[in-house]
Amino acid sequence: MAVGSQLIRSSTPLQVLFYLNSWYFAAFYLAEVLMFIYKGNSLPYPSDNLVLDVVLLVLFLGLEMLRIFYGWKGNLCESSLASCAALLVLLPCAALAVYFLLLQTYVLRLEFILGAVLLCFYGRELLLGLLSIYTFSRFSFSP
Amino acid sequence: MSAVSSLVPARFLTIIAHLVIVITIFWSRDHNVKACLPLEFTQEQYDNEDRKLVVALAVTLGLFAIELVGFFSGVSMFNSSQGLLSLAVHCGASVSLSFFVFEEWECWTYWVIFAICRFVCTHVSASRKQRDRTSNQ
Repeated sequence: MAVGSQLIRSSTPLQVLFYLNSWYFAAFYLAEVLMFIYKGNSLPYPSDNLVLDVVLLVLFLGLEMLRIFYGWKGNLCESSLASCAALLVLLPCAALAVYFLLLQTYVLRLEFILGAVLLCFYGRELLLGLLSIYTFSRFSFSP
Repeated sequence: MSAVSSLVPARFLTIIAHLVIVITIFWSRDHNVKACLPLEFTQEQYDNEDRKLVVALAVTLGLFAIELVGFFSGVSMFNSSQGLLSLAVHCGASVSLSFFVFEEWECWTYWVIFAICRFVCTHVSASRKQRDRTSNQ
C-alpha cells in the first residue's frame, strides 16, 4: 500500500499480462501434450525427433514457470534484478516458442496459431518489462 | 471476490479459443466453401462463396478487437452476469465452430452461429459500457 507520498512503481499492465500468460500457458501446454499424443500415434515420426520434441516441451515448462515467477515477483517487489532475470529467461522461452511454431518435425495449424499468440504475449512482456526495469532503477536511488 | 477472480481467466481463455478457431477457419476454408457449392462448380461460383465467407470472418475479427479492448480495459470485470453471458456465448461459439470445421458444414451455417454468438456478445458488452459511462459521469 502507498503510504503518504510513496509512489507505486509496479506496472499494472505487466501484472495483467503475467496473470493471463500463466493461464494461457497452462492451456497451451495441455493442448501441446494432447497434440503430441495425437501426432505420435498418427504421423510417421523418427524416434529421435519425437524424443527431442518431448524433451524440449518439458524444458519449456520449466523455463516458462521460472520466467513468470521471476517476472511476477520482480514487478510486485519493484526489483530490477528479478525483472532482469525474467527478461533473460524470456530469450530461451521465445526461442522454444519459435521452435514449436516453425522448426519442429510436424507443425499442426493449431500449434502455429497458439504459438503465435504466445509470441504476442512475449513481445508485449518484453516491452513492458524493459520499461518497468527502467522505472524501478531510475527512482530507487533517489534521496 | 471469488466470482471476479475465477471469471476473468475463464473468459480470457474462451475468447482466445474462439479467436483461434476463427483464424483456423480463415486458413482452411477450402472444404467449407466446397461444401456449399454443387458437385460441379465454376471458379467464379467458388470465388463468390469464398468472398462471402471471408467477409463474415473479417467482420468477426473486427468485433473481436472491440471485445478484447473491452476485456483488457477491465470495464467488464465487475459485471459478473455480463461476464457469464460472454463466457457461455464464446463457449457455444467455439464448440459450434469446431463442428463447422470438422464436419465441413456449409457456409450459411457460419452466419447463423455469428448472429447468435458474436452479435449478442458485442451488443451486450457495448451497451453495458455505455451505461457504466453515463452512470459514472
